[in-house]
Amino acid sequence: MDRYAEQARRVARAVLRDPDDADDAAQDAFLSALVKLEQYDPRRPFGPWLMRIVANAATDRRRRRSVRSAEPLDPGVVGGGPRPDVVAERSALSERLRQALAELPERRRLAVVLFDVEGYSHAEIAGMLKIPEGTVRSEVFHARRKLRTLLEDWREPS
Amino acid sequence: MTEHQMPFDHQPDTELGDALRRALAPAAHDAFVARVMSRVGTTRAGSWDVLASWAGRGIAAALLVLGAGFAAGRLMQPAVGTASLEEALVMGPADSGGAATAVVRGSRPPDASVVFSSLRP
Repeated sequence: MDRYAEQARRVARAVLRDPDDADDAAQDAFLSALVKLEQYDPRRPFGPWLMRIVANAATDRRRRRSVRSAEPLDPGVVGGGPRPDVVAERSALSERLRQALAELPERRRLAVVLFDVEGYSHAEIAGMLKIPEGTVRSEVFHARRKLRTLLEDWREPS
Repeated sequence: MTEHQMPFDHQPDTELGDALRRALAPAAHDAFVARVMSRVGTTRAGSWDVLASWAGRGIAAALLVLGAGFAAGRLMQPAVGTASLEEALVMGPADSGGAATAVVRGSRPPDASVVFSSLRP
């Protein structure tokens, strides 16, 4: 679990903007994976199987988010230290990227995060999202076009 | 962004990937892992509770179905089987099959006088 925790939380956050909601979804996914472990085929890679559960858990949570509140992490355990993205410029860019991501359709967000951040192949993502491989390529293309523009605009003034 | 990358490039865009990774970076890794691990035990116990509740409901439903089936079976028993020999004989010779059935299926022995009176010389 330790190995996939960050990845699962990033993928969940690609669907759910709120980090606490994303953590709840990632937790749901890990517990669901534990229950479904007998269904996992050990001849196949574990990551795509788990990320499929994470994506489904995040999507489910987004659908019922209006009636359930997120469970925050224990503040005593979290501590008050700075987050990794608190350095001013990076923090601002990260916020703009999150906003840009949020404007993308959910499937597009997942596709670009799974491909460019998590390094899964188009075929693996197609299996996770249950869509054709060509559609994954198209979704990654459209997401990149928008996010690249944002990055280029950000780079221009500096 | 790297200039050489085409829109349908099959390689991950490392610069965009790094920027997105920073943007989506989760905080408090250890707290998250600890929280999930603390739920693992309760989830296993919870799943047994769910199964137990399903079993209870299943048994209740099975008993209801059995009871309903038994009652329906009692109601659907043919009426001829409950007729007594006397009633069958009153119906007349055309229903001699009914008399035979009443003798076979009857829960009490037929009155001998009725049997003998039905015999014709």
